[in-house]
Amino acid sequence: MKKVLLALGIFSLSFAQENLEELKRQLEEQRKLIQELERKIKALEEAQKKQAEREETTQKTERPAPADRTVELKLKYSEGLRAYSPFSQRAFLPDISFIVDTSFVSRNVKDKTFKKLEIPGLFHTHENDHGHGLNRERGFNLNYGELYLYAPVDPYFDLYATIPFTEHDVELEEAYAVTRGLPFGFQLKVGKFRSSFGRFNALHPHAWDFATEPLVYKVFFGEDGLKEKGVQINWLAPTPFYLLLGAEILQGENEQSFGTKGFSVNTKKDGSGTDIPISDTRKPNLYVGFVKTSFDIGNLSVLTGLSYAEGKTRINHLKTDEPHAFAGRTKIYGFDLTAKYLIDSYRYIALQGEYIYRDQKGTRYGYNPAGNLITPSLSKKQGGFYTQLVWRFDRRWRVGVRYDLINKNDVKRNGIKRDLPDNLYAYYGMIEFNPTEFSRIRLQVGQNRAYFLEGERKKVNEVILQFNFAIGAHGAHPF
Amino acid sequence: MRWFVFLLFLFSLSFAQLRVVATYPWIGELVKEIGKEKVSVYVIAKGTEDPHFVVPKPSHIAKLRDADLLIIQGASIEIGFLPPLLTQSNNPKVQPGREGFLDLSQFVELIEKPQSVSRAMGDVHPEGNPHYQLDPHNIPKLARAVKEKLCSMDKNNCPYYETNLKDFLRRWEERLKVWDKGFEKLRGTKVIQYHKLYDYLLRRYGIELVGTLEPLPGIPPTAKHIEELIRKSQGVKFVLQDVYHEKRTAQFVAQRIGAKVVILPHDVGAVPEAKDLFSLFEEILKRLTQ
Repeated sequence: MKKVLLALGIFSLSFAQENLEELKRQLEEQRKLIQELERKIKALEEAQKKQAEREETTQKTERPAPADRTVELKLKYSEGLRAYSPFSQRAFLPDISFIVDTSFVSRNVKDKTFKKLEIPGLFHTHENDHGHGLNRERGFNLNYGELYLYAPVDPYFDLYATIPFTEHDVELEEAYAVTRGLPFGFQLKVGKFRSSFGRFNALHPHAWDFATEPLVYKVFFGEDGLKEKGVQINWLAPTPFYLLLGAEILQGENEQSFGTKGFSVNTKKDGSGTDIPISDTRKPNLYVGFVKTSFDIGNLSVLTGLSYAEGKTRINHLKTDEPHAFAGRTKIYGFDLTAKYLIDSYRYIALQGEYIYRDQKGTRYGYNPAGNLITPSLSKKQGGFYTQLVWRFDRRWRVGVRYDLINKNDVKRNGIKRDLPDNLYAYYGMIEFNPTEFSRIRLQVGQNRAYFLEGERKKVNEVILQFNFAIGAHGAHPF
Repeated sequence: MRWFVFLLFLFSLSFAQLRVVATYPWIGELVKEIGKEKVSVYVIAKGTEDPHFVVPKPSHIAKLRDADLLIIQGASIEIGFLPPLLTQSNNPKVQPGREGFLDLSQFVELIEKPQSVSRAMGDVHPEGNPHYQLDPHNIPKLARAVKEKLCSMDKNNCPYYETNLKDFLRRWEERLKVWDKGFEKLRGTKVIQYHKLYDYLLRRYGIELVGTLEPLPGIPPTAKHIEELIRKSQGVKFVLQDVYHEKRTAQFVAQRIGAKVVILPHDVGAVPEAKDLFSLFEEILKRLTQ
């Protein structure tokens, strides 16, 4: 029994042993399974993480940068103009330039006396005159600041305007349109412009070769030259050489030789008599014709021309201390010649001269010492010239001399010749330094022996140091 | 009356050909190569003149009056003389924007275009350096442009212009090979020039520009600038000098740095040897390699 029990006991034991081993094996399997699962989960997690990271980065790159406003800006603003201005017309701005002329003047005559000086039979000023003469005062002068505008209007016209400012004043000196497309060599100019009479008249002061205008221009056309409202037609002939013919119809308000406004003159100086009305002239009043031609002989270029101006005259100085007036007609003849010898690209010698002759006829209104109106017929035959030599001896340097002379001064009242001087002259010398074509420093010395003070010749010695500057878009000057 | 008939005769005689006005001799030569006897050519500037400073003589106005076609170099190089000539010409046909106006600078790539301009920088051209005719590789493009223009203005003779262009291009390409080979030897050579006149040639063949005698374009040399230039000019072989500026400065600098002054033509007619476009480049090469 004991044996059976023992065997049973062993059996059961071994069985138990077997069971235990089975259990152990199962446990081991489960542990492995868990490990496997853990590994898988880890891998999965990692993959998920990577995926998430990848997604994040792709999201980052695909999303538009919130701070970048260029697109919005571009939608609103025109990039080319960098402003909110889709209708900007800046590209159509005209050429604008500004020219400043300033000078230092030294003169042997006091300013007050200088203003009173006259050229007998030709030029005199009055107390209430306020001309635009350059270099008027001793010491420093700001002669002008000139605004210049140019642009094509459309395919048919070009427009030019010159607006000089003085210290206290502004003037619309020139404003005119020129045709761009007339056939057969014609060109039409309309507005207010410098007449093409002669050579010097059409030049702007900053293009002058000297600081002062020639005597003949001062006495026949005044300090501002012949500048009038009107119309010009010119024709360039189809010749192998330069030949220009032109005609102008102008208002004719020039204060030295023409004038349109009539006046009323009293038979008594004190105004107690009856008024005699003198009518306005026909308007327009002034007719100008010119012909210019040019040819080259080797390096020598010659430009020459003939000019003629005719109009009625009304000069009214009745409101002055010595009241007088004039009504009549004036004819002016001009001949000009320029010969420029071009040494090389930078150097030249230029000889230029003009002769101008004035024939004026009419009635003078004045008073005798008793204060009664007298109306003698007045005839003036006057003429003179200037001649100048300018040598550009270096790219930046020019020197020049000029001689002015009025040698005919026949003035007749009622056919009786007045005893007036006919040797009125002036001479000038200048040297200038032009750092570029936009700046100029000029020293001019001169003596004027044409001025008179109370019947006595008054010699005027003058030294002018002139500065001229140009900024902006300024067109090149013609020959 | 007899005068009038004579004038009429002259007028009709000149009508047969296309009347072309060119601003510079090299343009005139190009037009002659393409147009030959079907065109008459009048050239405003002389080859010996400074192209920036041409005198606007009235005699040029008379030629512009009757011109059918005006061809300019452009890039503002003619600004000092052409605008007043054009406005006085009373000829609508050759005004900018009309059919008879051709600006050759439109057909080449301009170099040295400034970002901004001010007159304080001297005579700078807002469009870039205008002396583009001195790159021989630009000439064929320009020849084609001239042919196109002549064809559009004178359709009947277009085949004639085509033939002339082909012939010209053939001869040009032939010489171009020779010039390329010749100029190639100068690659890396250091040079100084008076004005920025030869830049297109120098750039094409890799010739190194050390400086200009002018401190700024259009401003004459100053002592200070020349001293500075001499200091940085080691190894400079040539001082390139145009025909119209003073030559003393170039000689002085060349002597100080041991270089050679070479007077180079910039245009046809600048030196007697440069008789046409071909001899212009032959002469430049000859003078640089001698």
